[in-house]
Amino acid sequence: MSTTAEITHHPLQVAKRLEKFKPTSFTQISMLTIKHGAINLCRGYPNFDGPEFVKEAAIRAIRDGNNQYARGFGVPDLNIAIAERFKKDTGLIVDPDKEITVTTGCKEAIAATVLGLINPGDEVILFSPLYDSYNVILSVAGANIKSITLHPPDFAVPIEELKSTISKNTRVILINTPHNPTGKMFTREEVNTIASLCIENDVLVFSDEVYDKLAFDMEHISIASLPGMFERTVTMNSLGKSFSLTGWKIGWVIAPAHLTWGVRQAHTFITFSVSNPLQCGAVAALRAPDSYFVELKRDYITKRAILVEGLKSVGFKVLPSNGTFFLLADHTPFGLENDVLFCEYLIKEIGVAAIPSSVFYLNPEEGKNLVRFTFCKDEETLKEAVERMKKLKK
Amino acid sequence: MRRVEQHKWDCKFFMFGNWNEWYLAQGYGGNATSFVQVRQQRQWQPPQRGWLKCNVDADFHNGETITSRGLCIRYDTGQLIYARGFSSLLLCNLVAKRLEKFRPTIFTQMSMLAIKHEAISLGQGCPNFDGPEFVKEAAIQAIRDGKNQYPRGYGVPDLNVAIAERFKKDTGLIVDPDNEVTVTTGCTEAIAATVLGLINPGDEVILFAPFYDSYNATLSMAGANIKSITLCPPDFAVPIEELKSNISKNTRAILINTPHNPTGKIFTREELNTIASLCIENDVLVFTDEVYDKLAFDMEHISIASLPGMFERTVTMNSLGKSFSLTGWKVGWAIAPPHLTWGLRLAHTFINFSTANPLQCGAVAALRAPDSYFVELKKDYIAKRAILVEGLKSVGFKVFPSNGTFFVLADHTPFGMENDVVFCKYLTKEIGVAAIPSSVFYFNPEEGKNLVRFAFCKDEETIKAAIERMKKKLKK
Repeated sequence: MSTTAEITHHPLQVAKRLEKFKPTSFTQISMLTIKHGAINLCRGYPNFDGPEFVKEAAIRAIRDGNNQYARGFGVPDLNIAIAERFKKDTGLIVDPDKEITVTTGCKEAIAATVLGLINPGDEVILFSPLYDSYNVILSVAGANIKSITLHPPDFAVPIEELKSTISKNTRVILINTPHNPTGKMFTREEVNTIASLCIENDVLVFSDEVYDKLAFDMEHISIASLPGMFERTVTMNSLGKSFSLTGWKIGWVIAPAHLTWGVRQAHTFITFSVSNPLQCGAVAALRAPDSYFVELKRDYITKRAILVEGLKSVGFKVLPSNGTFFLLADHTPFGLENDVLFCEYLIKEIGVAAIPSSVFYLNPEEGKNLVRFTFCKDEETLKEAVERMKKLKK
Repeated sequence: MRRVEQHKWDCKFFMFGNWNEWYLAQGYGGNATSFVQVRQQRQWQPPQRGWLKCNVDADFHNGETITSRGLCIRYDTGQLIYARGFSSLLLCNLVAKRLEKFRPTIFTQMSMLAIKHEAISLGQGCPNFDGPEFVKEAAIQAIRDGKNQYPRGYGVPDLNVAIAERFKKDTGLIVDPDNEVTVTTGCTEAIAATVLGLINPGDEVILFAPFYDSYNATLSMAGANIKSITLCPPDFAVPIEELKSNISKNTRAILINTPHNPTGKIFTREELNTIASLCIENDVLVFTDEVYDKLAFDMEHISIASLPGMFERTVTMNSLGKSFSLTGWKVGWAIAPPHLTWGLRLAHTFINFSTANPLQCGAVAALRAPDSYFVELKKDYIAKRAILVEGLKSVGFKVFPSNGTFFVLADHTPFGMENDVVFCKYLTKEIGVAAIPSSVFYFNPEEGKNLVRFAFCKDEETIKAAIERMKKKLKK
């Protein structure tokens, strides 16, 4: 009995809160990429594997029978390892059981934080361009979004605009540092300014720091570590980018108890708990020796150099990227009308896939000159992509 | 975070002296780490019992309980007159309104109590034995083979295919793996995605009580208008007349769970046919949670989606955990026609995006398990159920028939305790066995106060040991 035979045409159904959103454009680009056999420099996941010692820890956990429901807010040992790592990185001492919540990747960290703490009508400030999830989940929660654009070439925070936008009516400011898609890292000065404005206006900060270990040209600063900030900050992070295990979906939220409460309430009803054996693997990861992180940075700096030099030699105007494994490049020297058309051309005719950066802007016009490349690929792949792009004519 | 909380306590004192004397009310308020002293002077005419309100201004954290104690001291002599007064308050108002009324689930509290008293846990629904080797090895192989990056958002392709094959085997329905199957992080996320993706604020949804507690919370998060219909012992049959009078063209969805947690009821063909015809008549969707479908012992499990006219209006949810004793892997799925899959996938994309890659690969092996695996699983559980049911009866419980799941409801009233929560705490502390008070599964807790839920997803030794403890110490 086939279902398709029975079904007459039905209009697609979706709740109002999600009506205006489509499946992300990543899916479409991915499909085009596969269809044309293009080299994938668009999606933010490596084409190489995570470290053996982390994989083996998860395998051991499966063999040892750590396969039943984990404690809702995290396997105890993982919460401790996260707290230890956070102390090492920021100097802050947090309570593993009261101030750390493990989530299904940073994606769920964001969803739980927003659904758990944001009421309809709450004013939230975002910096554009931005990872597209933020906008969607904030809309689902009914937030009133105010966006501040970061402009090339250095994507500096426009301080005056921020000062005039933030007020006592602002509930939250959301930051992402190191920043996707620009590769910008918020400077100490910018972070200090944001902090003092938040304290002055009693504003919360949601800080997405998944790329903290991919901070190349300057120190990563967790805003929670600034004076007066821990009590108003939700810091989110995950395993995937630092350990090349994006498919394990292990993330976490660090926040003072009075904010953790709301996050945990939402998390309880979204997934309740996170995969047990992979959390055990994450424990080993978070206790990695310093040499692991030194090696990781060195590798990525090399990869970045290959891509940046390559793109420049081909004719792109490459914008500086200080962190993450992304960079933005201006495609206008090649004479195509906008970023979407350029990316389609690049996939079909040149055989390389990048993401049109208009998807990261609330106003797509602002991104039409830029495309995002990723360099979380092995060196061969990056070199081959550069070779293919030599075919591009200015 | 500084916060001002108002506490009041009752001060009673005896007659001393004349009414012009001053009495000092003094108190302490705060949490475990920061107590502050509050003071207020009052002139009272003794004997008097009065409420004294004081503001406690200190650093509090959300989720903490603040307690305060009050005493009255006669001002001139410093004589303690009478001390009385206690209040406590749980702070949690930084949570978004949509979740305000929910507290940590009972499972967390009872688990902690069980650990503290070293009780044998027959409470939470997860096995104390492991999943099958062939499934574990498949996941291990996937990790080794590098399946560690983001999988396709709605599921590893091979898993969607395996889910469709299994669904066809079980129900006869042929579904499109890519357009009608969505993999989620456990059935909990299947429910969250289905509800957030398809339910608007104000939509009327019918639930059967007792129910798994996350349905209520998730529906409330979506702003649904929930109508609950109670299933009553001894057989928890669906009250057809009540259902007919509750369902209407205003109803958006009806949520069913079969086999049913916590009663162990399996919805009969007759009940499902009735629900189906009412849904078709009133154009109502069905969200059906079938995670225990492989633990259907005394009668056939029926997927309502397989009834005529039903696939196009049904979201069928399931997961790996219960059937394969791998509850901690959190691999679930939702099967629905494309026009409903659309909404639930959109929600899934923005709350989780994708589910752990290597564990999905393990799930492929599980779903292709030979029939013998499921036959063995049922046989094992039937044996465990017998041990528990006979044991509970011999101890003195009134046990209700459970046809499926690994839960059984029992009436604890022969033991003379006030209600199910009191009974469960007593059972945990004094007898050393943990069960779940079933009032948590009802909108109106009163309806569940006579019942407690036991789980038999434990090895036989453990169940026998629990029965022994109860035989020894539980007195009628």
